Amino acid sequence: MSRRLTSKRLLGAFGLALAIGAAPFASAAATELKLFHTWSNESEIGALNAIVKAFEAKGNKITEMAVPHEQAGSSPLVSLIVAGTPPNLFINSEPGLYRDLTKRGLGEPLDAYFDKIGATPNFPETVLKSIKVDGEIRKIPTGVHIDGMIYYNKKVAAEAGVDPTKWASLDDMFADMKKVQQAGFTFIGVGGNTFQAGYLFHALVAAVAGPDIYNRFYGETPDKTVFDEKGLRDAIDMFRKITSQADAGWVNRQWNETTSTVISGKTLMQIHGDWMKGQWKANKKVLGEDFGCINIPGTKALSVTVDAFGILGGQPDDVLKAELDFAGTVVDPKINAEFASIKGSSPVRLDVPTDKLDACNQLVLDSLKKPGFSVQNPFNISDTDWLNSVWNTMYTFQGDPDMTVDDVIGDFRSEYAAVFP
Amino acid sequence: MNAVSAYETSAAARIGGRVYPRRRRRIKGASIAVLVFLAMCAAFISIPLYVVIVTSFKTMDQIALGEVFSLPTTWTFEGWWKAWAEVCSGMTCEGVRHGFFISLAILFPSLFLSIALASVTGYALALWNVRWAGPFLFVLFMCAFVPFQIIMIPLVALTASLGIYGTIWAIAVIHAVLAMPLLTLIFRNFYKDVPPEIINAAIMDSGSFWRIFAEIILPMSGNIMIVVLILMITSVWNDFLIGLTFGGMGAQPMTVILANTVITERGEVHYNVDMAAALLTAIPPLVVYFGLGKFFVQGITAGAIKG
Repeated sequence: MSRRLTSKRLLGAFGLALAIGAAPFASAAATELKLFHTWSNESEIGALNAIVKAFEAKGNKITEMAVPHEQAGSSPLVSLIVAGTPPNLFINSEPGLYRDLTKRGLGEPLDAYFDKIGATPNFPETVLKSIKVDGEIRKIPTGVHIDGMIYYNKKVAAEAGVDPTKWASLDDMFADMKKVQQAGFTFIGVGGNTFQAGYLFHALVAAVAGPDIYNRFYGETPDKTVFDEKGLRDAIDMFRKITSQADAGWVNRQWNETTSTVISGKTLMQIHGDWMKGQWKANKKVLGEDFGCINIPGTKALSVTVDAFGILGGQPDDVLKAELDFAGTVVDPKINAEFASIKGSSPVRLDVPTDKLDACNQLVLDSLKKPGFSVQNPFNISDTDWLNSVWNTMYTFQGDPDMTVDDVIGDFRSEYAAVFP
Repeated sequence: MNAVSAYETSAAARIGGRVYPRRRRRIKGASIAVLVFLAMCAAFISIPLYVVIVTSFKTMDQIALGEVFSLPTTWTFEGWWKAWAEVCSGMTCEGVRHGFFISLAILFPSLFLSIALASVTGYALALWNVRWAGPFLFVLFMCAFVPFQIIMIPLVALTASLGIYGTIWAIAVIHAVLAMPLLTLIFRNFYKDVPPEIINAAIMDSGSFWRIFAEIILPMSGNIMIVVLILMITSVWNDFLIGLTFGGMGAQPMTVILANTVITERGEVHYNVDMAAALLTAIPPLVVYFGLGKFFVQGITAGAIKG
């Protein structure tokens, strides 16, 4: 029997061949994860690329959506969730969002996975607290920042004849103030917005008043007896002492511009989050040659910001596996150290290789090893309204030289009564 | 002064062969006050603009000195090139040009949809006997006062159910819907000056709703179309929130790319790149204004019949 090869049969055979040929590729197709984040700076993207490169080397793929920083971060994320296209990985620190995801069946605890890969015991205590929501690990920590460190200009210090590394207390630091001023420099660079006032204040509450008062003041429901504590009054007093160093241009000055006054050699130092390092690097300055870093002298505790990605649950097995692969990549000691060195943060594990860490990273890691020495950034633990009230009160205090410590305590009490009736 | 007006002036000054000295115009106090006010208004915009422009040409070392009004000691286009071609928005490091083309892709369907929808609605309300036209216009007018943020999330759900969320079509549809109240009112007010006799004559000549619109109304709409085009180009190009909310993972306009570049809480800032990126984003609407500004004024003051 002869069979004619009709065009229909030809097409069928071609289709079958394509299907057979494509089958192995289909089964080995990369799992694509959607990543939502708020990073676009050179250092942030360089660091993110280090993770993505390592993750994609495992045969997965990332598509991303970047939105402007924190102020605009939540709204597009909520839109994606409402539209039914939630990202697999996202930056968001609000515990409420994670609770909502759990209610929608989209929560995914990471405790078991991090235990399995041996990451949990190597997370510093503050990191572990920051990535938990209602007792479960729900976030993948990427990097650690200290909310209040001192970055100083080494040439200015040398010209003024002071050595910040010798300061053992804030009193030692202020003992050198006149020397610096007489050499023609501003002693401390001060900026002018609520962000800087708020961060300086909570860094000082941790440094001057200590972790107990810090946690009672910034806890979910503050302990109102904390307003009677001498430590809190001392922190407010120190805030006044530092902010009164402001030069003429402090009003409305962003932290980056404040850093520029230190970089340009007009000012000796700045007390702010250690992300200042990024601005020094952007100006092509070298740690150890042009600038140095120290903790606030005599600090009793460090307030720590932990950057982290949230993860989406309720996914098919292959997607969930890829998400966990991503989590494993982020907290891999080698990759996390590389991430930190590019981004200017510090690693989230204590067992990372130290070859890529600079002196500031090393200082941070040494500090995080001390038990009870670090506290969580208020954004992780405080009521939002209470935090806004504290920021506004301290910014008003900064700008009003007639306001006293008693006035500040009085304002805290009345704000407390309004926020927690 | 041209030759004719110079002749008229000299003729006015020489009456009957005698030369009368011209009265010098005195500048009144009120005029001085207006001039000072206008100069202050101009300075209010132009001084920050000057700072933006000179900063975009400075090096980071000079910017760190903080002398914002000084001219660049070394003029450099590095900031402009980085802003146009290299700056990152997320992991896409293609500069603001990446968003430029997306913004263009958003602009054209947004203009087409919004102008088509509003011009037809305005035409129907102005020239045809539409039942409930008054209440409809009132509701439309009230809609213009509803803040977008209130209806944002329901609109997200709506575009998702239409299957267009995260595409340029979602952004275009939202622009068209949100612009509809204002544009409809503009078109309706423009078309109501068309004499009803013209429409009646067209109907008697067996003109249909669409044929009259296409062959009579549209050709006389040039002035108002320019006005609406300028309004919409500016509004769509400068929009941030709609692009951010409805662009999803792949359709973010230039303003979102710019915001990604400029807004940072903890990251380093390259002021020269930021300033250049802001200027690059502002150039297209400025070009439209400079190019079509004259027609805008004409369109605002002209009616459908008077030219």
